Amino acid sequence: MTTPPAAFRLSGVDVQLGGKPVLQDLSLEIGAGEHVALVGPSGAGKTTLLRAFTGVIGPRKGYVEVDGVRLDQLKPEELRSLRSQIGFVHQDHSLVPNLRVSQNVVAGRLGQRGFLSALRSMMRTKKEDLQEVHQILERVGIGEKLFQRTDSLSGGQQQRVALARALYQQPTCLLADEPVASVDPARARSLIRLMVELAKEDGWTLVVSLHNLNLARDFFPRVLGLRHGKVAYDGPPSALCEEQIHDLYHLEETAFGEGR
Amino acid sequence: MARAADFAGLGGKESSHRVRVLTGILAAGILAFLGLGLDGSGLLSKGDGAVLVREFFVAALQPALDYESGGYLPADAPPFLLKVAKGLWGTLVYAIAAISLSFVFGMLLGVLASESFWATRGKAWGVVRWSIRISLTAMRSIHELLWALLLLAALGLSPAAAVLAIFIPYTGTLAKVFSEMLDESDPRPSYALSQIGASQSRVFLFARLPRTLPDIAAYTFYRFECAVRSSAVLGFFGFTTVGLYLKQSFENLHYHEVWTYLYALILVVLVLEAWSAQLRRRFVV
Repeated sequence: MTTPPAAFRLSGVDVQLGGKPVLQDLSLEIGAGEHVALVGPSGAGKTTLLRAFTGVIGPRKGYVEVDGVRLDQLKPEELRSLRSQIGFVHQDHSLVPNLRVSQNVVAGRLGQRGFLSALRSMMRTKKEDLQEVHQILERVGIGEKLFQRTDSLSGGQQQRVALARALYQQPTCLLADEPVASVDPARARSLIRLMVELAKEDGWTLVVSLHNLNLARDFFPRVLGLRHGKVAYDGPPSALCEEQIHDLYHLEETAFGEGR
Repeated sequence: MARAADFAGLGGKESSHRVRVLTGILAAGILAFLGLGLDGSGLLSKGDGAVLVREFFVAALQPALDYESGGYLPADAPPFLLKVAKGLWGTLVYAIAAISLSFVFGMLLGVLASESFWATRGKAWGVVRWSIRISLTAMRSIHELLWALLLLAALGLSPAAAVLAIFIPYTGTLAKVFSEMLDESDPRPSYALSQIGASQSRVFLFARLPRTLPDIAAYTFYRFECAVRSSAVLGFFGFTTVGLYLKQSFENLHYHEVWTYLYALILVVLVLEAWSAQLRRRFVV
């Protein structure tokens, strides 16, 4: 093989949740280092797709490859080790609210450390580790929050902590599932900008599901539109015409009204 | 239209069920009253009772600061207020000993009795969980006063008997409540950690457990207050808590002294409550 394997490759993937088809015969490829925005109406399968990328949800048919390795052929420990290399930012409530910011960030390496070293890092973080955490928090713009209780931070700041936790993993990829859905618009924009900048600096593959098409347009060279569990659009945002946008969100306007 | 009718039918079924349950509860209440012959006449005290009650409540306005005259007072008796303090101290010591033991075992058994701890382990382990749950139920279905009676017979009037009498039912209660708190805590932080490769035991230890600790601490403080009351009551059996002195004063009809003990006990509970509220506000794991 001359070309490096794709960061993520899906081949004919079918996923059902509670008996309902969520992803249907889905095949796609995301190259290493690519930045992709995942758009589409609620219920289109964006979250499921992101979870399938790390094998948290297994397909009924087809298979998922990460860096050329098929997830269904990995042992549980190998799968965990692979996940520990992939950062994941959730919509919200992914941090332990009554821990300090530093502890939530340190938890990023729980999948990489031995048990005792994990315990030690959480209970009594070493000075070097704290310095590293502090530097990461500086990079995401909240260095001064190091020792604060996490739930004393605003929603946008907590998402920066989640991002810092992902950074602390030293990942190769960052997946983010509607990371700005609970953040006000102005801060949402700066958070997405930060993610893209960090991805460029550290050379990550970045896949972010977004509800807001403008953010997808402004920051991502590739937009992947999902509808009914299938790829409805795949290409640069510039080629996305009004009709396609309407198609992508059509379902939501008619069946769900305003949507989430 | 058909759907609306379906919903109406469903609603009707639901509410008639509710009516039946409520009627059942009401009937049980009425039957219990009739069975005990509670018709209100029992509330009127007979003979000297009224005088005693009046005397008792009037004494509430003047709690004693020194021994009341009458009754036997040994020559080496400590000053009255010192005796009150001694009683309170004894009460606290028994309660602290019992609740600390209960907390340790309650945590251990609470984790083992929780569903989330065994979540990814084999079904066979369910046997362990259920046998623990059943033992916990047995521990707490016997009240601490009954445990005290049993243990007094077995161990005599030793401090161990009193501590065990509180420890056993309290451990059962703490463990049960802890296990439920663990199972009901927000799963999303745990989910996020397993998403990035943390094993289930680590997820439990670093997300679920710390997430639940403030609730666990708050509930333990509440049970500590209860333990103080239980410890006080155990004095009636002769353990040197405030209950012992209270009982003696009551038997001597020294109601002013009784009220001093009662007020002191209330004060202790209030102080504990203020302290625990303050700790909870500042609690960071």
